[in-house]
Amino acid sequence: MEVRWLRTRGQAVAPYGLALAAVLVIPPLLVIIPGVAPGYVLYLISLALIYAIVAVGLGILVGYTGQISLGHAGFFAIGAYASALLTLRMGLPFVVALLVAGALSAAVGFLLGLPALRLSGPYLAVATLGFGLAIPQLVVWQGSWTGGSSGLHSLPLASLPLGVSTIVLRTDQDFYYLAAAVLIALTIFARNLVARHTGRAFVAIRDSEIAARAMGVDLVRYKTTAFALSALYAGIAGVLYAHLLHGISPEDFTVLLSVDFLTMIVLGGLGSVGGALSGAMLLTFLQNALTRLPIVHDFKNLYIVVLGAILILTIAFLPHGLAGVVRSVRLRSAARVRQGASPVDQIVELGEGSSAR
Amino acid sequence: MTLDLPWGQLLINGLALGSLYALTAFGIVLIFKTTKVITFAQGETAMFSTFVAFTLLTAFQLPFALAFVLTLLFAGVFGALIERVVLRRISATTVLNPVIVTVGLGLILLGAAGWIWGYEIRTFPDPVVGPPFRLGTLVVSQLNALIFAVTPVLMAVLFAFFRFTPTGIAMRAVAENRTAAQLMGISIGRMNALGWGMGTAMGAVTGMLIAPINYLDPSMMGDVALKAFAAAVVGGLTSLPGAVVGGLLLGIIDSVAGFEAAELRNTIAFALIVLVLVVRPSGLLGKHETKKV
Amino acid sequence: MSGALLDIRGLTMSFGGLVAVDGLDLTVGNGEIVGLIGPNGAGKTTVFNCVSRFYEPDRGTIRFKDRDITGARSHEIIRFGIARTFQNVELCRSMTTLENLLLGQHVVMRGGVIRDGLRLRGAGADEARATARADEMIELLGLTDHRDRVVSALPFRLQKLVELGRALVSKPALLLLDEPTAGADPRESQVLADLIRRMRDRFDLSVLVVEHDMSFVMGLCDRLYVLDFGRRIAAGTPAQIRSDPVVIEAYLGEPEREVADA
Repeated sequence: MEVRWLRTRGQAVAPYGLALAAVLVIPPLLVIIPGVAPGYVLYLISLALIYAIVAVGLGILVGYTGQISLGHAGFFAIGAYASALLTLRMGLPFVVALLVAGALSAAVGFLLGLPALRLSGPYLAVATLGFGLAIPQLVVWQGSWTGGSSGLHSLPLASLPLGVSTIVLRTDQDFYYLAAAVLIALTIFARNLVARHTGRAFVAIRDSEIAARAMGVDLVRYKTTAFALSALYAGIAGVLYAHLLHGISPEDFTVLLSVDFLTMIVLGGLGSVGGALSGAMLLTFLQNALTRLPIVHDFKNLYIVVLGAILILTIAFLPHGLAGVVRSVRLRSAARVRQGASPVDQIVELGEGSSAR
Repeated sequence: MTLDLPWGQLLINGLALGSLYALTAFGIVLIFKTTKVITFAQGETAMFSTFVAFTLLTAFQLPFALAFVLTLLFAGVFGALIERVVLRRISATTVLNPVIVTVGLGLILLGAAGWIWGYEIRTFPDPVVGPPFRLGTLVVSQLNALIFAVTPVLMAVLFAFFRFTPTGIAMRAVAENRTAAQLMGISIGRMNALGWGMGTAMGAVTGMLIAPINYLDPSMMGDVALKAFAAAVVGGLTSLPGAVVGGLLLGIIDSVAGFEAAELRNTIAFALIVLVLVVRPSGLLGKHETKKV
Repeated sequence: MSGALLDIRGLTMSFGGLVAVDGLDLTVGNGEIVGLIGPNGAGKTTVFNCVSRFYEPDRGTIRFKDRDITGARSHEIIRFGIARTFQNVELCRSMTTLENLLLGQHVVMRGGVIRDGLRLRGAGADEARATARADEMIELLGLTDHRDRVVSALPFRLQKLVELGRALVSKPALLLLDEPTAGADPRESQVLADLIRRMRDRFDLSVLVVEHDMSFVMGLCDRLYVLDFGRRIAAGTPAQIRSDPVVIEAYLGEPEREVADA
């Protein structure tokens, strides 16, 4: 839980400062490094950042609140399509489309959260799976105005209003800064949320619904909020995705994508915002790296197998993901520093403390 | 939508399709009841087994009946191996863990099948050849007839197994109350493996019966598995008869939906799941597990 | 009878065909420590679950501070001023002691997605206040060494203590204790009884406690109710109950139960 972060506030700022510096420094660095196409790399990183947004939101739902969703590609799609249609067909400005699409996605998330209140575990998994499958199907069904299976293309570039004029984001670099800014803002929001009151309520729901209810946590309110929030994040990410790619089609939003999202947070570590981020980054780069291996004659094949293996191995050997590894390393070094703690205490804390989440 | 549908034919087709859903769902529920794991890999294990059958039929030119039996054996062993090697190592600390593991498993099998057999769509040899049967205006294809023959027989055999054989009763005991069963000397591990083996075999049966119509490629079972899940969930994950009921029901609805609004088949399945679950959160025939406060 | 803090009348609860609680009348007055005892399966925890609204009773009314709470939702109960502990400790196992005690103050803190996410003013002050209160309670209960330990690492009796702290930290008017001495030896039970009395005095509490341990209950409670098969078979002071033949028979009827040797 994040209350520990509060106590090490001074130190906690450091990683953020570093991250911010890294974000700013990457584009100019890429220009300098030879043999690297900065545009393409920035495109890739932007994609990773976009997926990271989804991962953070999904992490709130799955990692903190303990619900499950196998259909988050559906919210991703809603955001993408809503924005695509609003900008393309109705000529709305990008920022307006972003907000509307995000709100729409959140609303649908709230609605999905309602039946989810009565469902748990496998039942919820199946219901969300069905949701994720239904969305692209609905898009194809209403092909006359959604572009159907061929999709929507040549979307307007993203643009931001600045006083009386607008900045149009033409290059990969421009978009990269937008994606990074959105991710940072949403991550800070998420971390604030989970560090305190709301986050505790979420975790209470995950650990013991009975305790949560007895302590005054309104399950209806918090569960639907968790769904809506994770849907909001996925929807916003979808908007960015659509405008990064300049076009979308129903095939971009398959079950595999939902599984990808889930893998990201499992790999990164459930119940950790930082984990969601790292999991998303890692997986996106992995996916890309696998395309480049010369031995792969059939990319789709290998990536799927590796993905599946990652899922299984992570659950088997690293049930708390990368964040768990970081946590136990940190505990180990803290234990070494702390005087007077009995060996038994230390062992117990290492064993229980790091594995109890 | 008009109500002027060929109901009789839709019913026949729906029941045939539903039988397949029922068989797969049965496998899922069986695995769930014995091992408390929802396997999202049922479609992929079935697909893999079907590919094995394909190889036996084409590369080895075996007669269908023999290939069928061999494939069932393979599936049984395969399922038991999965349980032993993969699932036993996983601590089910959350309900999410086994879900993710089976999803991962499914992906590996999907990739493996594509790697071993490739992604071209192949034709699966027909188990039965001949003109379709006619009952008045209704047409029952040879394959559907086979499905109608095989499914009740299989169900009857399984029913007898669970009712009358010591092993079957032992499995039911494990599903009912693991601790008590253990105290009675029943080996949980063996029952788990058996459950997985049988469940996987059920999937294989479905695969082999559906491949002739659906063509054979690694993603062939995806849709069926989803529907089977819907069926299992709708029927109640703890109820074997529920899986059958759910399967048949879903088959009929799917058939009608396929006729009227083919592009929305999955959406309709989804809507149905949500509808049923909202009214009965543990499915039609499932038992609601409440935690003791 | 107005004036009673908690007033239960005619409470009836059945599961399937089995009647767990049958027409129970029970009151808890201000500042009282009332015990609810009876053989195993007598329906005691069911009464708690009805009061905390985890169960929906078939019949009967529950009034708290002269307000009908029979139809309230389970998460509203603590807001009214009723906090409880559970027989099978229901802590948030992945949280630390401190975090569990912060959760106990959930209803006292202002919160909400926007307020927390944007770190609006008020959220920080609330958190600091709540942490101070939690620390106070931690010290009172002697849990200082375990403040930042994840509760799943704690032994059972400490977990029960944390749960007690969690219930107390929201300054409830009524505390429902479900088998607080489970797993405790006689000396620990004595300490616990003293603790409860001190808490009652310090925080101006009333307590309704469900228990099996007779000596604990006899020494602690001002009044007792005895339940058997869901029905109230006796009510009165410990002295009265101890010598009540109906009670003795109810307990002797179960071979493994021992009547008070206090």
